[in-house]
Amino acid sequence: MTGDKPLEIVLLEMFLLVLLGPLVTGFIQKLKARFQSRQGAGVLQPYRDLVKLLNKGTVQADTASGFFRSIPVLVLATTMAAGALVPVVQAGPPAFPLGDALMLLGLLSLARFLTAVGALDAGGAFGGMGASREMTIAPLVEPVLMMVVFSTALAHGTTELGILAEQRGTSWILTWRAADFLGFAAMLVLLPAETGRIPVDNPDTHLELTMLHEGMLLEHSGPGLGCMMLASHTRQIVTLGLAAALFFPIGAVSTGVIGLLLGAVSFVAKILVLAVYLAVIESSYAKLRLFQVPQYLGIGFVCALMSLALRIL
Amino acid sequence: MATCYAAGAFASLLAVWSGRLALVVGHIAAFAGAVTGLVVSLGILLGNPVQTLTLQLPDLFPFARLSLVVDGLSAYFLLVISLVAVAATIYGPAYLQAHSPEAGAGRRGVQVLALNTFLACMVFLCSAGDALSFILCWEGMTLASYVLVVSDDTDGENARAGLLYMIMTHAGTAMLLVSFLVLTERAGAFDFAALRTAASGLDDSARTTLFFLALVGFATKAGVVPLHVWLPRAHPAAPSHVSALMSGVMLKVAIYGILRFGFDLLAPAFEPLPSSWGWTILVLGTTSAVLGVLYALQQHDLKRLLAFHSVENIGIILIGVGLAMILWRREEVGGTLATLALTAALLHTVNHAAFKGLLFLGAGSILCRTHVRNMEELGGLARHMPWTAGLFLLGAIAISALPPLNGFVSEWLTFQAILGGASIFRGPSGLVIVVSAALLALTGGLAAACFVKAFGVTFLGRPRTAHAEHATEVPLSMIAGMAWLAVLCVLLGVAPGYAMRLLDAPTMAMLHGYGASEVVTAHGPLVLSTALALPGAMKGTAISMTMLALLLLALLPIAWFLRRGLRPSPLRTVPTWTCGMSPTARFDYTATAFAKPLRLVFASLYRPSRSVVKETAGSPYIIKRLVYTGEVVDLAETQIYHRVQHGITTLSKAIRDNSTGRIHGYIGFVLGALFLALLVFGGGQR
Repeated sequence: MTGDKPLEIVLLEMFLLVLLGPLVTGFIQKLKARFQSRQGAGVLQPYRDLVKLLNKGTVQADTASGFFRSIPVLVLATTMAAGALVPVVQAGPPAFPLGDALMLLGLLSLARFLTAVGALDAGGAFGGMGASREMTIAPLVEPVLMMVVFSTALAHGTTELGILAEQRGTSWILTWRAADFLGFAAMLVLLPAETGRIPVDNPDTHLELTMLHEGMLLEHSGPGLGCMMLASHTRQIVTLGLAAALFFPIGAVSTGVIGLLLGAVSFVAKILVLAVYLAVIESSYAKLRLFQVPQYLGIGFVCALMSLALRIL
Repeated sequence: MATCYAAGAFASLLAVWSGRLALVVGHIAAFAGAVTGLVVSLGILLGNPVQTLTLQLPDLFPFARLSLVVDGLSAYFLLVISLVAVAATIYGPAYLQAHSPEAGAGRRGVQVLALNTFLACMVFLCSAGDALSFILCWEGMTLASYVLVVSDDTDGENARAGLLYMIMTHAGTAMLLVSFLVLTERAGAFDFAALRTAASGLDDSARTTLFFLALVGFATKAGVVPLHVWLPRAHPAAPSHVSALMSGVMLKVAIYGILRFGFDLLAPAFEPLPSSWGWTILVLGTTSAVLGVLYALQQHDLKRLLAFHSVENIGIILIGVGLAMILWRREEVGGTLATLALTAALLHTVNHAAFKGLLFLGAGSILCRTHVRNMEELGGLARHMPWTAGLFLLGAIAISALPPLNGFVSEWLTFQAILGGASIFRGPSGLVIVVSAALLALTGGLAAACFVKAFGVTFLGRPRTAHAEHATEVPLSMIAGMAWLAVLCVLLGVAPGYAMRLLDAPTMAMLHGYGASEVVTAHGPLVLSTALALPGAMKGTAISMTMLALLLLALLPIAWFLRRGLRPSPLRTVPTWTCGMSPTARFDYTATAFAKPLRLVFASLYRPSRSVVKETAGSPYIIKRLVYTGEVVDLAETQIYHRVQHGITTLSKAIRDNSTGRIHGYIGFVLGALFLALLVFGGGQR
C-alpha cells in the first residue's frame, strides 16, 4: 500500500506549489492584458504585491473578535497542507500515507469555511455578502468535483491522487473513453468556479455586484491580506494540479533525477495549458449573474453524472 | 450503575428540602452512573475475547423472565451514551440554575427524576436481553424525555411540541410492538435467543414485513424523513443538556434498534439479508441527510437548526447501515466491505454524539446567558464568551465534515464504502449508490454553509440586542462539560485508528466476520486504509489523519511568521467602513440574508413565502416602518401531514354525523362489527 515516494519530495512539492502559485496568477493576468491589447504588469507582479503587503502594518475593524487575527494563519496553513496532497513531479503514493483527493477537497473547504467566518467577523455588509455568496456557490461546486473524482477513482478503486496518476500512466492519454471526456468537460466547467474566476467570480474587483471571494477579503489588511492572497494563489494552483493529476498524468511517472526533471517540466507545461484556458475563458465571457451560476454549474453536474453513469453501466 | 441512577432518582426526593440540593446530588449520581457505564463498556469492548455480560433480573412478571445481555453492540452503544452523559451531567446543574433560577423545588425534583430515569432507560434498553424489558425501557425513555421536554417552560409551545412528540413516537412504538408480539407469539418466550430461533423459521416475506414494521417504529424515534416532524420541535424545547442527550444519544438508540433487528433478531441464518431492507434504508438515509440540512439552513432558532442537523446526521449514519445491509454476506464482496460500511456508520454514531452534544451545550450556554434562541437577536458573543465561541467553532468544523476533525473521518469511510459498493453493483443499483455519494457531498457543503451562518451570525459582528451585549461567560463546570466533548472530537479526528479497536466487538457481533481494525487499520493505528476492504483489483486508499494534523501543526508557525509581517508594526483598530454612515448592528449580515441565495436556488423545495408591509408617512417615498415576514415550509409537513390531518378531520366529522347518541344504534354497530369479524377471521377454526 505504502509507496516509495519519500516525504522530502512531498514537502518539496508542497513548497514548490506555494512558491509557484503567484506566478500562475501573474501569467494569467499578463495574458489577459495582452488579450485586451494592453501591455499589462509583469508576470512577477503578484510577488511584488505580496512583498508590499507583508511590509505594511495592519488596520483592523474594531468590531472584530479575537478570531479575526488568526484567520489568515489558519487559512494559509490549511491551503498549504492541501498542496502536499497533489502529485507534482513524481506520481505514486508517498512513503507514509497522508491524504487523498477527498482530503484535498476537505482541506480546501476548511480554508473556505474559515475565510467565510472571518468575513462575518468585521460586521460589514460587504463581508457578509461575500461569505453568503461564496457559501452558496461552494456547496454546488463541491459535489460535482467529488463526482468527477469518483468517476476517475471508480476505474482504479482508489481516491489517492498519486496512485491514480501512477496507474493511468503516460500512455493512458491515448485510451480516453467517453467517460473521461465527459469528466474532463465537467472539470473544465468547474475550474473557473473553484479558482474564483469569470464567469463565476471576478478576481479583479470587490464591487458589490460582482464579487464573491474578494468581498470576504475586504476587511483584511497588510500581512493578513498578504496571507489570504497567497492562500488564494495556492488554492488556484492546487486546483489546477488536481485537474492535471486526474486527467493528464503524463510525465510524472518515472523516477530518478531525470524522471523528476521530466516530471517538473511536464507539470509546468500542464499548468500553463490550464492557465491559458482560464485566461481565454476570462477574456471571452462576461460574469454571470449570481442566480445564473447554478445553471452554469448544472452543465458540469450533468457531464459529471453522465461520466459516472458511463463508468458504472 | 443501576444503583447510581436509582440513587439519582431518589435524590429527587431531596427536593422536598431544597431544589438546589436535589439538583446537585441527582446530577452527581447520574455522573457516577455514566462513569460506571464508561468503565463497564470499555471493559467489555477491550476484552479479548469479547465477553458477553449476562444478568438475570428478579422475576417481576409471572409470564416473562427479564435479563440484561451486554454483547459487543450493546457495549458500544453503552459507551456512546455514557460519553455524552458524562458531559451532560457535568454541565447540567449550573445550566439549570443559570437558565431558570426561579424554578421551585418541585420542578427541580421532577427534572432530576426524569433525567435519571431517561439515562437509566437508555442504558438498559441497549443492554436488554428480552423483548419485554426492551419495550419497557423504550416506553420509559419516551415518557422521561417527554417530561423533560415539557419541564423547561410553562408556555403552550413546549406543551404542543411534547404532545406531537408523544403522538408520533407512540404511533411508531405501536408498529414496533406488533413486530415484537408476532415474534414472541411464535417463540413462546420473550428473551432474544428464543426470538432469534423463532425468526429463523420465517419465510422472506414475513421477515421483511416484520422488519419494516420495526423500522417504522425506529425511524420515527430516529427522526428519519418523513417521520421527523416532531424532532425539530421537541428537541429545542428541552433543557439544553437534555437536548444534547436527546439529539446525541436517544436517536442513536433507535439506530441500535435497527441494527439489532436487522443484523441479529430477524436476520436469516446464513443467507444475505433481503435486498429491499438495505436499499430502503440507503434511500431513506440519503433523503434525510439532504432534506435535513436544507431545512436546517433556513432556521433562525439556533437549537432548532441543530435539531434539523440531527436529521441530517442520522441520514448519514443510515447510509452506512444501508450499505452494510446490502453488502453483507454477498459472496463477490468477501465480507470486508460490509464491515467497512458498518464501521463508517458506527463511527459516525459516536462522532455525531460528540459534536452534536458539544453544539447543543454551546447553544445552551448562549441560551442561559441571553435567554434568546433566535440568532437574529444575537451577535458579537465571541467577545464576551470566548470559550463558548471557540468550542462552538470546533464543533461547527467537526459537524461540517472538515478535516482534521472527527466528522471528516466517518464521512470519508462512508465515501470509501460507497466507492466499493458502486464498483460491485453495476447498472442502475450502482447509480443509486453513486447518486447517494453525490448527495452526501452536497450535504457536507451545505452543512458548512449552515455553520458559517450559525457561528458567524451568533458569535461575530456586533451585538444586535441588549441581551447579546450583556452576555457573560458561563461558569467553569459548563465549560468543562463542553471541553470534554471537544476533546473527544479532536481525538477521534486526529487519531481515529485507536477508536477502531473499540469498533471490533460491535462489527464482529453483528456481521460475524471481520472486525473493524482488521479492515481499516491493517497498516497500524495511524493509517486508515481501505486496501483490504475493497474487492478485486481495486487498489484502495490510505490516509493518515495523524500525519495530516502534524503537517498542519508544522505549517502553522510558517503561516504565523508571514502573518506577523516583515516589519512588525502595531495594530491599528478603526471602525468598519460602511460607506460613510456610522456603523451599527444593522449593517451586519443577518441569518435570513445569509441564507437567501440558497433559499432562491432551492426555491422549488422550500416554497418560500414573504410579505413586506410598508407604513408610509404622506408620500410613498417616506417610509416610517417596514415589516418583513418570510417563511419556508417543510415539504413533508405540508404534503403529507396536513393531508393526513385533513383526512382524519373529515373522517371524524363523518363519524360524528352518524353518532346519534342513541345506545341501540351503537349496539347495532358493535353487533355488525362482531358479525363481520366472525365472517372474516372465524373461518380457520372450523
